[in-house]
Amino acid sequence: MSSEIAAGPVDQPQSAVERLHIAGLHAPADAILSVRDMNVRFNTENGVVHAVRGVDFDLMPGKTLGIVGESGSGKSVTSLAIMGLLPSTAEVTGSVRLKGKELLGLSDKAMCEYRGNELAMVFQDPLSSLTPVYTVGNQIIEALTIHNPTMSKQAKEARAVELLAMVGIPSPKERLRAFPHEFSGGMRQRVMIAIAIANNPRVLIADEPTTALDVTIQAQVLEVLHTAQEETGAAVVMITHDLGVVAGMADDIMVMYAGRPVETGAVDDIYYNPRMPYTMGLLGAVPRVDVAEKSSLVPIEGMPPNLIHTPTGCSFAPRCPLAADACLEGEPALAPVPGPAAHRAACIKSGSLGGDVDVHDVFAAPPVPVSRFDAIPREERSTVLQLKDVRKHFPLTKGALLKRRIGTVKAVDGLSFDIREGECFSIVGESGSGKTTTLLEIMEFHKDQDGEVVIGGISNKQAADGKTRSAMRRELQMVFQDPTGALDPRFTVYEVLAEPLQNAGMNKVDTKKRIMELMKLVGLQPDHVNRFPNQFSGGQRQRIGIARALAVNPKLVVLDEPVSALDVSVQAGVINLLDKLRAELGLSYLLVAHDLSVVRHISNRVAVMYLGKIVEIGEVDRVFDNPRHPYTRALLSAIPVPDPQLERTRERIILRGDLPSPLGTPKGCNFATRCPVFAALPAAKQEKCLTLEPPLEQVAPSPAARTLAADPLPALDQRFACFFPDGELDEDMLVVHESADHHAP
Amino acid sequence: MLRYLAKRGITYVFMIFLTTSAGYFLAVSSLKPALLEQERIPRPTPEQVANSMRLKGLDPDLSPWERYVEWLTAILTRWDWGRSPNGAFINAEFGDRVWISTRLFLASIILTLVIGVALGVYSAARQYKFQDRVITSYSYLAYIVPAPIAYFLVQLGAININETVGERIFFVTGISTPGMEPGWAQFIDMLAHYAVPTVAITLVGWGSYQIAQRQYLLDNVNADFVRTARAKGLTRNQAISRHALRVSFIPVAQSIAFTIPAIFAGGFFAEKIFAWPGVGSWSIDAISLQDVNAATATLAYGSVIFALGAILADFATTLVDPRVRVQ
Repeated sequence: MSSEIAAGPVDQPQSAVERLHIAGLHAPADAILSVRDMNVRFNTENGVVHAVRGVDFDLMPGKTLGIVGESGSGKSVTSLAIMGLLPSTAEVTGSVRLKGKELLGLSDKAMCEYRGNELAMVFQDPLSSLTPVYTVGNQIIEALTIHNPTMSKQAKEARAVELLAMVGIPSPKERLRAFPHEFSGGMRQRVMIAIAIANNPRVLIADEPTTALDVTIQAQVLEVLHTAQEETGAAVVMITHDLGVVAGMADDIMVMYAGRPVETGAVDDIYYNPRMPYTMGLLGAVPRVDVAEKSSLVPIEGMPPNLIHTPTGCSFAPRCPLAADACLEGEPALAPVPGPAAHRAACIKSGSLGGDVDVHDVFAAPPVPVSRFDAIPREERSTVLQLKDVRKHFPLTKGALLKRRIGTVKAVDGLSFDIREGECFSIVGESGSGKTTTLLEIMEFHKDQDGEVVIGGISNKQAADGKTRSAMRRELQMVFQDPTGALDPRFTVYEVLAEPLQNAGMNKVDTKKRIMELMKLVGLQPDHVNRFPNQFSGGQRQRIGIARALAVNPKLVVLDEPVSALDVSVQAGVINLLDKLRAELGLSYLLVAHDLSVVRHISNRVAVMYLGKIVEIGEVDRVFDNPRHPYTRALLSAIPVPDPQLERTRERIILRGDLPSPLGTPKGCNFATRCPVFAALPAAKQEKCLTLEPPLEQVAPSPAARTLAADPLPALDQRFACFFPDGELDEDMLVVHESADHHAP
Repeated sequence: MLRYLAKRGITYVFMIFLTTSAGYFLAVSSLKPALLEQERIPRPTPEQVANSMRLKGLDPDLSPWERYVEWLTAILTRWDWGRSPNGAFINAEFGDRVWISTRLFLASIILTLVIGVALGVYSAARQYKFQDRVITSYSYLAYIVPAPIAYFLVQLGAININETVGERIFFVTGISTPGMEPGWAQFIDMLAHYAVPTVAITLVGWGSYQIAQRQYLLDNVNADFVRTARAKGLTRNQAISRHALRVSFIPVAQSIAFTIPAIFAGGFFAEKIFAWPGVGSWSIDAISLQDVNAATATLAYGSVIFALGAILADFATTLVDPRVRVQ
């Protein structure tokens, strides 16, 4: 026990009371929300988890503070502690002052006066955050009733309509009577925002408000949050793990690690001049969608610490490449870094780190792997997977006993593409666009399928017997999205990896040898083979999943959202591994991902899907740098980039509405209902979009290139399906934020 | 809604027809009332037995199919469910017994539901506290103890009270004292007869609702939408009672359908022990007395009760859950 007492905060000699007193005196008078020395402890069966350790910040009226960190860093707990919404088992100490009034220690009842009134919150998962049995109007009006008991019924209804209109819900008056399940995820998050801003809060806390949403919907919701902030003048605390999301929104950033703020400062200082290795690592670990980079991502090795044990040194030291002995002696305080701005970092080496230090030097990023296939032109490599006009239509039926067909869902509608040796081909699109169905159709491999699937020269049309099918399984393997769900918790790693090998008829000795080989290949310690999956971290489990897929030496690996369940720092390591394996083993990948930055980083070619059809396909840099289809353009512009200056001036296409139901797809172009080009076209040209289906057409080389080149140019690897790619965009759907309302202090 | 009910009604009528017909074939081919007749003294001749059976519409010489057609025609044309081997008319006997069963169970079913759900909410709000532990332990005990034993215990308790007071307050068996004058005295007599069986059945029955309601409410107490409600400015208890309660009642409402027929099926213990000659005890008697028509009629009644319970559950679910659309 004595060691625990000795391990107290070495760098903070004053008592908590003194610190609070001083902090109170030093808090800026005009701060709307001041948090001082906030600590949150949870009593668990394993011991006391110290989830938040000494958070301090001041929030100025109308400003936005971004709290960035990975899962378990304490960012959500901080926000719930401010709101007083933590379970009663949590012990919260320190001080939270809203306009000078202390909130910590208030009873649940006393807190209710502030919650939903001056202090409001938007939660992460819009699907479960609204009560399913009450209408949306009912739930908005409830928020008004609690704090304005005297308000008349008509006035409340009028205000609810006004709020729904403000967050961009069409025909708000009718939608008041709708239930949450009649709204899509994005629409529900708008309703959540409407509830939060109902009473014009002074502080709005948004906890990962867009994490559960598609990129196009994320762009819409961020836009709504922006409007909400402008309308109410509220100060916003934006909590996220995505450095791109806050780059354009936040004025200040607080980076959290292991329950502590490790770096705070103005947004530009944090992004362009990080002084804490963890922040640098985070920035380097995120691939960029707007840059055709040819460098590896920065992996941060290891795992965040267990917060049951009080750290005796810098909590990031075990993962930090710069860690020295001095780092292990006491946790470094959050101290000002040299420079004029209010920029603080908790690192004893922050003085030597700065804007000119390259993160790739600090964290030993592996060299860019080169595949032996890179030198061979694509046309000369053999084809490992080919899809010819694959369709999957689901009949939609009605009735219990006698089923009537009332429509068809065209989940996949005429898909053709091929994957060559050594290349990574990606499919991107919103949820519901048919990406996963495409994968399932490939895995199905049945002769009665509509369309032809050829895997390693074996066609599904000749796959009548089990022998052909198992031959095909050796050509193609799959890695799943959720590494925890994909591994049997009762199998040791050895058993997980041995299963495919035994299926392939390998003897015991060879199996053992191969498993050791595989463990080394994916960067796991070979002596861990007898452990169970729950003894590994998420990133390590995904490595096991990759090892299992590689066990039988497949030519093609299908990756279904392989990194979306992982934290940013871990994700980088897995992406680097995939890159390395592709080069070393000459693998081909078929990748499905919603994160376009990841896609750009590891793919060679990409297909953009919309409602079961490919709307644009081609070489990844061509498609991302020079998108031709309006949908691709919108998709790309919707992705936030971790670059504050660029974010502030970027033009953004905000698509209206959600992905339409694939039920009643129109005769002409599927995208016409949401298309920004279509909206600006004259009626005569609109007619063409509505009646004719645009075919996938080759992009012609630009006229300038044609005149310059003496020989006839080879056809560009980019095709798209749109009649008017050069049409003007509808102005209403374009958003550019004036840098004036987000100037860096 | 009406159209939906009509549709469900037709489906259930079809199902009741199927189960009842199947039941009839089973009864007619396995129950032989003529055998019992032969035990009478003086022993009747086979011709006499066959003749008496024929008169009651229970001709043992006809094939099962012929008897089925005859039986079904009588029901469809005259609503005549036939006669027992002792000559009693099923229709008359049935009416009396249904009324007795309904009187015995209706009050208990309602009390079971209300008390079970209320205690479930109460104990969920006090999870792991003393009250919760006591109530939930009791519910599990009620689950384990076989119903007849619990009924006997309640009877013993009532007898004990009677003895302690020295006066007969409760009747532990029977429906009413014969020959009472209508009026206040008769009403008191009725209560005295009702109290013991109603209390016994309720005490045994509420446990399952309490456990289910407590469980479903606890599942929802920490739901995201309760947190949203609190973030709006409701206290924790307000948020739970306004938002979590209704959501947690949805699965409970669905389970009601399948407990009502269960209570009916288990009812013959209560009817036997408390000597209320209802449908439950009749169904057992019908089998031992080789009574084809009575056995089939009680089966049909069971199916009807089951269908009513299912429709009631659909109704309750649509009432509390807007996501369920009625088509």
